[in-house]
Amino acid sequence: MDRTSVKIVVAGGFGTGKTTLVASVSEIPPLTTEEILTEASIGVDDITGVEGKTTTTVALDFGRITISPDVVLYLFGTPGQDRFWFMWDELAQGAVGAIVLVDTRRLDSSFPAVDYFERRGIPFVTAVNRFFGECAYTEEEIRGALELDPRVPLVWCDARDRPSSKLALVTLVRHAMSRITAKAPA
Amino acid sequence: MTFDTWDGDDESAAGRFVPLYVLVNGRTAPRDSTLDLATQVVALAVDTRRLEPEYVEIVNRCANWMSVAEIGAYLHLPLAITKVMVDVLVEQGYLGVGSPAQQKIIDLHLLDSVLAGLERL
Ligand SMILES: Nc1nc2c(ncn2[C@@H]2O[C@H](COP(=O)(O)OP(=O)(O)OP(=O)(O)O)[C@@H](O)[C@H]2O)c(=O)[nH]1
Ligand SMILES: [Mg+2]
Repeated sequence: MDRTSVKIVVAGGFGTGKTTLVASVSEIPPLTTEEILTEASIGVDDITGVEGKTTTTVALDFGRITISPDVVLYLFGTPGQDRFWFMWDELAQGAVGAIVLVDTRRLDSSFPAVDYFERRGIPFVTAVNRFFGECAYTEEEIRGALELDPRVPLVWCDARDRPSSKLALVTLVRHAMSRITAKAPA
Repeated sequence: MTFDTWDGDDESAAGRFVPLYVLVNGRTAPRDSTLDLATQVVALAVDTRRLEPEYVEIVNRCANWMSVAEIGAYLHLPLAITKVMVDVLVEQGYLGVGSPAQQKIIDLHLLDSVLAGLERL
């Protein structure tokens, strides 16, 4: 059967505009699905003894864009809190890559997301959300604060604005493609 | 693909959260399931009269291709449970399954069509 799913992750710190970005480009109002997680101080591979631990529900927002009759792109927003790494792993698996939203008032809140994708070699772009007009930092300053690899694209965006969110997505897909081309044998 | 675990500051403070393992009709989720939350399924032309109502509801939702995440969202089911139930329906021939999100991003042709689709937005 021919129906292919493509995933892009929209990550970033708490309140950086992830849901807003998904909503601005999705063909349906963003949906929310939930996962029940349980607190465990042990490795993921050892699930014994987790009974009786507290459970928590993580909500995931997502949207969709129909690319062609047999390809659908899903955009998943990561949970705002950093402690749900399990969900990040599930979202990142098989994804084209990620958009890491950055709020210039709290640059450090997006650092864990940058670090996460960098360590795993998952292509990502940073999208700096200019919440209140002018940004106090230059691109160099933001790159420095986030310790961005010079090859990681940085775009300025307004997550409420469709063309702006579209630019972030297009930049990511191009970046992912260029990484493949660069790796391919000549 | 296995990812190494995050060793940032949050872990020590907040603990680590892992999926709650659930038992649905003798299966544990999510361990048994290979379905990704973006994988799409579609109802096949099969008589659903012998199915339990919760399963029929899923099949009915899939008249058109629908991802696991969408089924969970529309039916208010946690993802882990949605996955096992969808898995059961696929195995029993009620649902057809599409291609999952790529395991490795090597398909330039697919990315090309994604790019073209985004540029049309
Ligand atoms: N001015 C301005 N406001 C924005 C922008 N993006 C988001 N907002 C607002 O910022 C708030 C947070 O945005 P969300 O999209 O909910 O952020 P989020 O990253 O999904 O938040 P969590 O899921 O809670 O981590 C909302 O009130 C948005 O309306 C932007 O580009 N400019
Ligand atoms: Mg959100």
